Amino acid sequence: MVIASRRTLLKGAGALALAGAIGAPARVRAEGKVLKIGQLGVMSGPEASWGLVNKFSCLATAEMWNAKGGVEIDGELYRVEIVSVDDRNDPKLTVSGAERLTGEEGIHYFVGPNMDTTATSVRPIAEKNKAIYIPYAFARTVYTPPAENAILGMIASYQVAPVMYKILKEERGVGKVAFLARNDSDGLLQRDEASKVAKNLGLEIISSDTYEPSITDFFPVVANAVSASPDLIIMSSVAPAHCPQLMRAAREMGYTGLFAAESAQDIKIIKEVAGEYGDGLVSIGGASTPEIRSAYMEDFIEKYNAVAGEWNDEAGTKAYALEMLLGTLQKTGAAGISDIEIFKKAIPDFSMKNPFLKEEAALTYVGMADFGQKRQIGVPMVITETKGGEFTTLAIGKVES
Amino acid sequence: MATATDPAPTRGEKRVLGPFLLIFAPLAAVLFVAIPFVLADMPYWLNVVTNACLLSFASLGVWLTFSIGRVNIAQGAFCLIGGYTVGGLTTFGGLSFWLALPFGGAAAALVGYIIGYPLLRLRGIYFAMVTLSLTEAVRLAFLYFGTMVGVTSITSIPSPPGITSPMAFYLFAAALLILGYAGIWRLQSSRTGGVFRSMRQNEELAASIGIDVARYRVFAFTICCFMGGIAGGIFAALQQNVYPQSYTVADSINFMLYCFLGGLEFVLGPIVGTFALVVSFELLRAIQEYQALLYGILMIVVMLFLPNGLLSFFPALKRLSGGRK
Amino acid sequence: MEQILVNGAILAANYALIALGITLIFSIMNVLNFAHGQMFMLGGLLVYWLVVQIGLPYAAALIGATIIVGVIGMAFEVFFFRQVMRNSTREENTMLLAVGTALLLENAALSLFGEKQRGVPPIVSGVYKLGDAFLPANRAFVFGVSVVLIVAVLLFVNYSRTGRAMRALAQDRTATLLMGVNTARVSTLGFGLGAALAAVAGGLLITVSGVNAGVGTAISTKAFIMIMIGGAGVVSGALLGAVALGFIEAFGYAYLPGSLTYLMIFVALIIFLLIRPQGIMGKPWG
Repeated sequence: MVIASRRTLLKGAGALALAGAIGAPARVRAEGKVLKIGQLGVMSGPEASWGLVNKFSCLATAEMWNAKGGVEIDGELYRVEIVSVDDRNDPKLTVSGAERLTGEEGIHYFVGPNMDTTATSVRPIAEKNKAIYIPYAFARTVYTPPAENAILGMIASYQVAPVMYKILKEERGVGKVAFLARNDSDGLLQRDEASKVAKNLGLEIISSDTYEPSITDFFPVVANAVSASPDLIIMSSVAPAHCPQLMRAAREMGYTGLFAAESAQDIKIIKEVAGEYGDGLVSIGGASTPEIRSAYMEDFIEKYNAVAGEWNDEAGTKAYALEMLLGTLQKTGAAGISDIEIFKKAIPDFSMKNPFLKEEAALTYVGMADFGQKRQIGVPMVITETKGGEFTTLAIGKVES
Repeated sequence: MATATDPAPTRGEKRVLGPFLLIFAPLAAVLFVAIPFVLADMPYWLNVVTNACLLSFASLGVWLTFSIGRVNIAQGAFCLIGGYTVGGLTTFGGLSFWLALPFGGAAAALVGYIIGYPLLRLRGIYFAMVTLSLTEAVRLAFLYFGTMVGVTSITSIPSPPGITSPMAFYLFAAALLILGYAGIWRLQSSRTGGVFRSMRQNEELAASIGIDVARYRVFAFTICCFMGGIAGGIFAALQQNVYPQSYTVADSINFMLYCFLGGLEFVLGPIVGTFALVVSFELLRAIQEYQALLYGILMIVVMLFLPNGLLSFFPALKRLSGGRK
Repeated sequence: MEQILVNGAILAANYALIALGITLIFSIMNVLNFAHGQMFMLGGLLVYWLVVQIGLPYAAALIGATIIVGVIGMAFEVFFFRQVMRNSTREENTMLLAVGTALLLENAALSLFGEKQRGVPPIVSGVYKLGDAFLPANRAFVFGVSVVLIVAVLLFVNYSRTGRAMRALAQDRTATLLMGVNTARVSTLGFGLGAALAAVAGGLLITVSGVNAGVGTAISTKAFIMIMIGGAGVVSGALLGAVALGFIEAFGYAYLPGSLTYLMIFVALIIFLLIRPQGIMGKPWG
């Protein structure tokens, strides 16, 4: 019923009342110091959920800090303000959006965008206006020198694959795998990288199929894979919306093996759409599984609920970006807010306690192995498995520094 | 059909230049004096108007296919072809952007010329839907054949040499737009333009008086594709990348909408339509999640009150004030 | 092989509802309804809301959602499309309006229902086996309901007074008006019926695969493909188009490398239209 209350609120406020805000630019109204952080991503259209989860995560984190009075940097409290820009997954709008954040608003740190297309489009603007950005896209070019302004905010599929497949091979006896990839450049690229990993581990690839992003019925698509009877179906770059549909179609055709996804999924969608067929999915999670999360994470979930209306498990992996940014800025001091060179210098030695995990664990920047420089947030690699409508922790690994 | 208020020049060369300058001079003044002056220190808005200029340029092409009576939802495909050509030639071929750009336009024009002959036999919504399919087909083709050769996307495309600031890029885009506008205007006021209009009203009739309808249709479509290719090529250099999903059906539909919104009876229509939609979308950013919602409402409202496009407002005003009939 | 045929048949039945709706609107109003997929989406999400949030039984929710979307369709016709068609010099101008309504519905749904994929649990569970093919009971149920509805719509359009008026309107608007038919009322009903059919399709499919706020454009594109194959504005053409697309998709996914299926569909479609520009059953030039 949380959603219903949000809906009433929306109706109450009314789109028209908000429309009155046009023309009044989002200038800072609060007293005291303000730290503005940008958020750029796709928040309308078919991929709306990708960017909205980022936005809600940033807002929740900002809320948590502001409830404490703000972030303390050099002895002064800064209220965190999130400036969101919707790019509709259109590179043209991403470029102008980034220009708006970094040029118009004078922001030097922003979270997003979400896709390879948009993330690579931002690069020239970020370099020109001297800004650090945290994309959730895997294109290597933006993280490897000479590019040095992007920090990967999550774990890349090609980093998850070796760890995940190894566990599944050794502990679950997986030998034959089938690939199902979304037919766009992200999906195909991830499938190709994952195939290499699978071959190196000695797994046998018995089928490889793709489907259009616009698909509504997965029955015809999974037929090939299921008839080859693999032990594991790997869903490359699968959207949370499609994952349970794929699982249900495969199970209905008699498939009994495991599923793997290298990206975060959402248990509520899995429960609703796949129902009793939702078990046996191995995917990557943030810190949201109940047995490992800290009180701070509980608080984050609560704040996220207040902002978004309901929890989304994808947010578990997206809680880290803003937290890391703020943590690093506390180390660099106030000078770092407007000078990203100081921030970049602080990256290699930075370390803080991971606030989202119950256990004592350090949070650092990683990426030497994949990008040749530390341009990735060292999010713990929590590998989860769905059982009885819940995510359970299968293993916790991490990306090589 | 609405010829009473139709400002498109048809009546002899002498009377053509007057109305042309009447619109051309203020347009040039806005593009080269007002905008650079006002937005000099606002790179964000410069970027927005640069986008608008390039999108208008591509929409002008779409407008030309409208003038022969075809609803064209394929411009995204030709932007993609132009983008890949320019991206490939500059990144892998080491060619200068300035040399590669004409090739981008030519590649798109060539493809348009070849498939234009059979495609343009279709009319009405069949042409609209087949061009929509073409957008998807081209995207999927780049994806499929790109995967086969191992290059689905081109990244790190060098930016055009000599253009170092947002202002320079804007001036380049604006110059291109004004050139495109003048070109399309000239075409419209020539005999060819008259043939185009006669084809829109009745293709059979036009054919019956000895006009080679097929040749003229392809001519219009090829120019349209050329303009799409040029715009796509410049966007590739501006964003420094091109992906199969850089242009989707939504982009092709947008090009068509820009023409509708401005008004199909006016050469200025696509420019006004593009600037109105692009700038209003940016202005609506202040209302965050209701941005896209209000954008939709705005489109409906414009259509309700000005069903023939924004520019139809002015002739309507003229009529009200008792001007020429 | 059996599996491919079963898959094709189920796809075809789902698609037929969508194609029937868009073709009704097109034939009566001459409007290419870009918002059709959004109406499909809205139907699905309304069923979700009524079942999961309000707690209505599925059948009641399906009927409720159908009526709501049908009324929205009628309101669009009365307040938007009719006005624009009266005042505009070119018929195509309604395209901008249709895209505007699509944006409106999509973003309203995004605000009201959130960004997530929504699903309703299957109405019936279990899996049947036909020869070598698997047929989940819920899909069989959706297939059955679709076929019944398609037959009902065909009977309505062919034999009822209003249905005949709709067909007459599609053939010749002026003549129909002269025969004393209230064309305004029939147009409104036709638009409402088309929208309601999209909503039913969405409401049924949400039990199979779930629906999210952004799915509309993809559905509209598929609907366009179907009416292109079958011929725009002809009811039998819409059904043929749906059956053709359903089976082509099923066979394509089975025998072609996946990523090639839709590329081939589009290329084949373009070539097909060049040979037969009005689709299988259509009137030439729409």
